[in-house]
Amino acid sequence: MGNILTVWIDTSRKRSVVFPLSLTGVVLLLMMFFGVLMLLEQGNVIELGAGMFYKLLTIHGTGMIGIAALAGTAVMWYFLNQYLDLKLGIFIMNIVFFLIGVTMVLIGIFSYDFAGGWTFLYPLPAISGGMWGQTAAALYLGGMLIIGTGFLLLYLEFSRAIIKEYGSFAKSLGWPQILGIVKGYGPAPAIAAGTMVCIVNITALITGAAILAMSLINLYIPSFTIDPLLAKNMIYAFGHIFANSIIYMGVIAVYELLPRYTGRPWKGSKALLIAWNMSTLFTVIIYPHHLLMDFVMPKWMLILGQVLSYANGLPVLVVTAYGALLLVYRSGIKWDIASSFLYLSMFGWVIGVVPAIVDATIVINHVMHNTKWVPGHFHMYMGLGACAMIIGFMFYLTKVEGGRQDNRLDRLSLWVFIVAFLGLTGSFLFSGKVSAPRRWAVHFQEWVPADIIGALFGTLVTLAFLAFVIRFINYASNIGRMKSNVDPRIEKHG
Amino acid sequence: MYQQAAWVITLLLSAFVIFIFLFVLMKSGRRVEYSKVQAKGYFLRSIWLVILLVGFSTASYYTLKDLPFERAEGKGAPLDVYVEAVQFGFEVSEEKLQVGDYVAFHVTSSDVNHGFGLYDENMNIVAQTQAMPEYTNTVYYQFEKPGTYTILCLEYCGVAHHVMSKEITVTK
Ligand code: HEM
Ligand SMILES: [Cu+2]
Ligand SMILES: [Cu+2]
Repeated sequence: MGNILTVWIDTSRKRSVVFPLSLTGVVLLLMMFFGVLMLLEQGNVIELGAGMFYKLLTIHGTGMIGIAALAGTAVMWYFLNQYLDLKLGIFIMNIVFFLIGVTMVLIGIFSYDFAGGWTFLYPLPAISGGMWGQTAAALYLGGMLIIGTGFLLLYLEFSRAIIKEYGSFAKSLGWPQILGIVKGYGPAPAIAAGTMVCIVNITALITGAAILAMSLINLYIPSFTIDPLLAKNMIYAFGHIFANSIIYMGVIAVYELLPRYTGRPWKGSKALLIAWNMSTLFTVIIYPHHLLMDFVMPKWMLILGQVLSYANGLPVLVVTAYGALLLVYRSGIKWDIASSFLYLSMFGWVIGVVPAIVDATIVINHVMHNTKWVPGHFHMYMGLGACAMIIGFMFYLTKVEGGRQDNRLDRLSLWVFIVAFLGLTGSFLFSGKVSAPRRWAVHFQEWVPADIIGALFGTLVTLAFLAFVIRFINYASNIGRMKSNVDPRIEKHG
Repeated sequence: MYQQAAWVITLLLSAFVIFIFLFVLMKSGRRVEYSKVQAKGYFLRSIWLVILLVGFSTASYYTLKDLPFERAEGKGAPLDVYVEAVQFGFEVSEEKLQVGDYVAFHVTSSDVNHGFGLYDENMNIVAQTQAMPEYTNTVYYQFEKPGTYTILCLEYCGVAHHVMSKEITVTK
């Protein structure tokens, strides 16, 4: 009967993550390649033209956030199946919606020249300055709306199951324990995290759907206009929350697997539950840090944007990453590729918080906003944090559920990935320090060296990731089929 | 300069983070009772929390004193300069300024969102704000050095986003 690393869920649930994770591997790889192309263009090494650069920028941003979120839902789905009674049909439906939406987005970008950025900042989709027309924008916005709807339905399903099992979100976020009404430990960390993600993402997706729908109407009925500041608030609320939720879904893999690797429990203690309540609130309300340079915003909102962004660092710094360090410290943990990635993800998250908090400081934001500093910090916690969680989960699956054994290539690619991603993000931060703007197809001569260095590191990241994908796909078909991992209590007929 | 400060702080704190994670990695081998680790760990955690709270509060206190969207007291009435961004260029009401001018840039846009990024001669950003349709953002800047300053677009606005620029000359 399996081993201590096995997660006991139904084999059909195990198999259900194989397709979305394989898709994640392929799409991430392609988007990384596009990322390298952008750097080569900025570094004057190749000549794609500005139009192509902005199309790549749009697909890279959309594709990366979209696919990483899809992988995040796969992580959340996999582990929450231990606690909740979830409907497989809705998980699959989200993937179908995703594929339909992505097809529309791709056609909008590559056949109809849409290049409005993944932030589709109103009224840019409708006023392209000559590059794309109505159809392009409609395909892109419509595709995003379909993708968002799929995710929304999935989070509603998670919410339904959580409320059915725990009674309410207040209970699954541990309020009875926090308030001292109930003694002892509260819900498992995975449940607290899952609840947080449901709350913030339902908020984000409804806001996103509303602004997408309004932008679509505006495309066809130009007299229907939107207040540009309201639109900006809605878009960044949606974008900030949705992009941030990826790491909060991914961390469920850390909560669930690190205890299995270290043989130490990770429980829903009071501190942990308080941290997740803080994260829930802060994630929703700190998005104005994207609007720090919109001085027409109420002053108190901008100041809160700074102060709460600082505070938002506390849950991870004091509870989650700190807890992971305690778990690992003198644990005699058996390091393998999967556990290394999970540990790396905590490192990546924390180190990514540093430049993020620096940039959330209004006086610094004043000279760093929309420079490459910004992609510098979020590539850190996306690449070394969120992606490390996803890759760690994929390596875990092929090892424990697929019979793969770590080899030298795996270890080599792990280290190349770490060092090269640090180099890549370091080159972005450096560009930001010397005031190179983000989202510029053409760079001035003084910014070019950092782009070329970035492209070299980016190529190494892409190659390392290629190795991960090949290893995953080679073993993925075994997942959910190994006799030793079938729980006799769950499957009597198997 | 804030850019330099941001860079140095980030490097130092990153080095600290790398050190902590490597340290725990090195010490992950020999297993001891978890309750012992917890006892010590939770004590250190409260110290860590206090350090963070003090650090964040101090940083907030000092950095929130000097906000770029507030007129500095004691600098007198600012010189108003009106900036209008449009795909793909800037209209500026005053292109020649003098050292010592305390300028209020009133920035807006007539089509989509743009960014107003003011670069000095060494191509460092010295001030910025968003250029939004229907709204006017005001940013204050005092010119202390003569030279050619360049306004660049800092919000993605379409295919010629990187072409938008405008020079301002500041003389003695
Ligand atoms: C080999 C790895 C990667 C490379 C070389 C790369 C490269 C780039 C480049 C050059 C940009 C544009 C920077 C600019 O504004 O000038 C960018 C933007 C972006 N990247 Fe990546 N990237 C990589 C991995 C990732 C990952 C793993 C994610 C997220 C999961 C991600 C998400 C984004 C997002 C959201 C943007 C912003 C797009 C926008 O400004 O609209 N990237 N990346
Ligand atoms: Cu944000
Ligand atoms: Cu622009």
